[in-house]
Amino acid sequence: MGEAIRDDNGPAPFRVVIVGGGTAGWMSAAGIRRQLRTEDYSVTLIESDEIGTVGVGEATLPHIKIFNDMLGVDEAQFMRETRATFKLGIQFCNWNQPGDCYIHPFGAFGEPWGGVEFQHHFFRAQLAGHQRFALQDYSYSVVAARNNVFEFPNEDRKSIRSTYAYAYHFDAGLYAAFLRSWAIERGVRRIEGQVCDVGRHPTTGDLRELTLKSGERISGDLFIDCSGFRSLLLGKIMGVAWQDWTHWLPCDRALAVPCKRIGALTPYTRATARRAGWTWRIPLQHRTGNGYVFSSQFINDDEARDALLAVLDGAAQGEPRLLRFSPGRRDRAWQGNCVAIGLASGFLEPLESTAIYLIQAAVIDLLRLMPRPGSGADPRLVAEFNRLNEMQYDRVRDFLVLHYTSNGRVGEPLWDYVRSMPLPDSLVHKLSLFRARAALPNYQYGLFARDSWLSVLVGQGITPTGYDRLADAFELPALEERLAEFRNRIQTNVDVMSTHGAFIADYCEAQATASEGAAA
Amino acid sequence: MTAHRPLSRVVVLGRDADLWLCVNAIGRALGPAGVQLVAVELPTRLTPSHVSATLPPLEAFHAKLGIKEPSLIRATGGSFSFGQNFVAVSGRSPGFFHAWGAYGAPIDGSAFFPCWLKATRHGLNLSLQDFCLTAVAAKNGRMLLPDEATSAFGRTDYGYHLQTMAYVGYLKTLSATLGVTTHEARDVGVERDDNGSITALTIEGSVRVEGQLFVDATGEDAILVGRSLGVPSDSWRQYFSVDRVLSARAPVFTSIPPFAEIRTARAGWTALHPNRVATGVVHAYSNGLSSDAAALESAAAAAGVKLADVSVHSVNPCVRSRVWEGNCVAVGGSAGIFDPIHDVGLHALQLGIVHLLSLFPVTEQFTAERAEYNRIMRSYCERIRDFQCAFYALASFDGDFWQRARGQAVPEPLAHKIATFRARGDVAPMENETFSPDSWQAIFTGLGVVPESWPPNIDRISPNRFQEEFRRALNFIKAKVLEQPTHGGYLDSLCRSATA
Repeated sequence: MGEAIRDDNGPAPFRVVIVGGGTAGWMSAAGIRRQLRTEDYSVTLIESDEIGTVGVGEATLPHIKIFNDMLGVDEAQFMRETRATFKLGIQFCNWNQPGDCYIHPFGAFGEPWGGVEFQHHFFRAQLAGHQRFALQDYSYSVVAARNNVFEFPNEDRKSIRSTYAYAYHFDAGLYAAFLRSWAIERGVRRIEGQVCDVGRHPTTGDLRELTLKSGERISGDLFIDCSGFRSLLLGKIMGVAWQDWTHWLPCDRALAVPCKRIGALTPYTRATARRAGWTWRIPLQHRTGNGYVFSSQFINDDEARDALLAVLDGAAQGEPRLLRFSPGRRDRAWQGNCVAIGLASGFLEPLESTAIYLIQAAVIDLLRLMPRPGSGADPRLVAEFNRLNEMQYDRVRDFLVLHYTSNGRVGEPLWDYVRSMPLPDSLVHKLSLFRARAALPNYQYGLFARDSWLSVLVGQGITPTGYDRLADAFELPALEERLAEFRNRIQTNVDVMSTHGAFIADYCEAQATASEGAAA
Repeated sequence: MTAHRPLSRVVVLGRDADLWLCVNAIGRALGPAGVQLVAVELPTRLTPSHVSATLPPLEAFHAKLGIKEPSLIRATGGSFSFGQNFVAVSGRSPGFFHAWGAYGAPIDGSAFFPCWLKATRHGLNLSLQDFCLTAVAAKNGRMLLPDEATSAFGRTDYGYHLQTMAYVGYLKTLSATLGVTTHEARDVGVERDDNGSITALTIEGSVRVEGQLFVDATGEDAILVGRSLGVPSDSWRQYFSVDRVLSARAPVFTSIPPFAEIRTARAGWTALHPNRVATGVVHAYSNGLSSDAAALESAAAAAGVKLADVSVHSVNPCVRSRVWEGNCVAVGGSAGIFDPIHDVGLHALQLGIVHLLSLFPVTEQFTAERAEYNRIMRSYCERIRDFQCAFYALASFDGDFWQRARGQAVPEPLAHKIATFRARGDVAPMENETFSPDSWQAIFTGLGVVPESWPPNIDRISPNRFQEEFRRALNFIKAKVLEQPTHGGYLDSLCRSATA
């Protein structure tokens, strides 16, 4: 801190420099600007119009609403500006058997009875041959999603309409732009430029100064690397090693292309398993986002391109764009005075829309553990940040691997491989517990919650051979009545909901310009 | 799929609270599901000096067993405890109150603790416990009966001080309605098959009790999991310097304090657990530093009264390396021995039982359940151990005992927790914690750890807002406490209602 200027009132503002202006960069900038005082922290963000952003995760998880609420963002305005739609869950098609579809909803399945979790009652009825309905029929948000309807959750905790949350589909480029104007209005300094040189402290190795192509030099106290896959600071300069997870998640490329929107606006993302990976379909107000996430070991780029174009709802808007990636994470997301957020710290394929969540979690942890003006990064707090970041990535990884390992697509090389690959021990344990007794992973921190595990375990065709013995204390006929009553309650409530399309039109429809309609 | 026999016959061998809590919980939850339970009871080791000090979660567990609080309090000479009041006998260190309830209420969406932390750095001269509703009520001899306003302010949890012999008797009577077969035994033999699984217990060489799953509730003896199956314990000796505990009985207080008091002196600490019948006294010390006779003197001096029913036993903190081995599950003292500070024994027993219920095997094939049970119980036990270790590692009291305690090893997760707390007042979130962040903050600050910084986001809140909110909280606490009945008055009315 030798070069920091001090005045009588205390240390000079702590200088945060963010490299990269995608979703990660602008979420970091906005979070800091909202939570920390301008007299204590200055924020400079360097981005280049020449470097495209990946525009990850046009589909999100419900947590993003907490982030937007923290910023004080008006939801309808944000949705208008980002062409957003609502999302009640993700539909997975053909992951188990051809024609199979299930939804991973942001909501509960059933309700616990007599202190016993719902799934135990469900499987008991099923194993006793008293169950003609699927688990999916016991989720309010699944039934709503299937019916293409939407309504805000009710705050009355006793109501079935409080048993779900929602997220958004939006244009990530527009979201970054939305946050950019939000942050710039509140004092974030944006510099257009590309970093061409990095000055470091000769002994500690800490970053001190970035030199841009223009010759401008930007010095800082903490550098946030939001440079995406390039991991310009953390990976290239600080040399933090990469942990590769390709052996668990073989997909290493994606092709993305928007198409014309056709038909009703679905309140869910769709992820359809394909020969060498899976395709996404994300409904926005003005277009539908599509992509094929695939493994280059099992298909070439041209074949993948053709396969993607063949499954679009409407006319493609431009040529598919190719992205290369490898799944995994850096050993440490924070080293010295450099912290990576977003793809610069790790990458997990967008199968469960986790990218923006992982950014958000890192920003919130960073705000808690941020160095104070007048001091440097504290190794004790850096260790805590890295511990939490690692936990987040590892937990999401297990959940993603679950989709692959339990597939039913026999005879296709990618799918045969992932079905037989060695799994992380933590996932083997979770699977064996579910198979034995319908027990769900039980942890407090990080993704995913128990109902999420339940939806995917069952959706992927895993059937437990037993259930919690405590469920046997209830009479079967009474249980059947409760199950029927619950299904009726769902249907009655879903029947009065608006269609998703009508809800959007009423609440937050964007005034699309003619040029946008055709834009790639 | 191979069909395995359903698991429907369980034998619990044990004594005292370990046995009877287990029998009630399993019998009540799984009896209706067709599980047959046999209890084999060993002779008690309790004396009238034993008082069980319990943690707040026991209340909810009791509710599941059909236990009504008034009848429990009445039958066990019980009283309420809102936490632990730590005082130095020498008067040279400031004391602190470790309450089970919440400390302060959030200010403008920010947690209370960092706001308090920053304010103290800017001259606020009020301790953390001054903002704890239950601590203030308890120190004023009052109950804290929650209402909407107190719930909005924060948790108002409490534990109990129960006469252990009466409590065990109460549990035993309660189990009579469950149709559990009970055998009394002095001498138990263990039969095992070629795989090492336990097949049956033999009582006094005559009665034979078969089972599919055996629960070892025999306390430190660990007759099944330790003596018979030979599962070793992992010692925690390197973390704890207390190796001996004296238990005794002191007269009942005329006005029964609704909290435990831990009095620290040069040679160890003395806990007073007051209830309506007596005051349980526990004195913890290190055998190499004080003789039993000297310990009795210290205990009597700390308690300030003559002690009766004195007994002494050694304590060796440890955890069973596998609490579920083969077809035998260890709960309570056979699973792990904890240091006596913070009164966690009964809670560890509760955790063992609750997780056994939630993982109770469907059939005789229970590899997955066993692996999960061993994993999760280990994790819970280690987090409790860390909390207890923190007390000794950070205590700055004078004397050989405390010097030795401070010199003990510190487990790695605790070292990390202390480091992040020192750096930022941050309590690193970990899975399977028994003690809340409030508890961690209370003991850390109570023992004099002053964080070097606070999260910068609370700097947005103006000092005037802090002033306003602090004043509001103090006024609220004062007014609420004055509304409360005295502990004694409340106990009287509760016991009257239970007889009615």
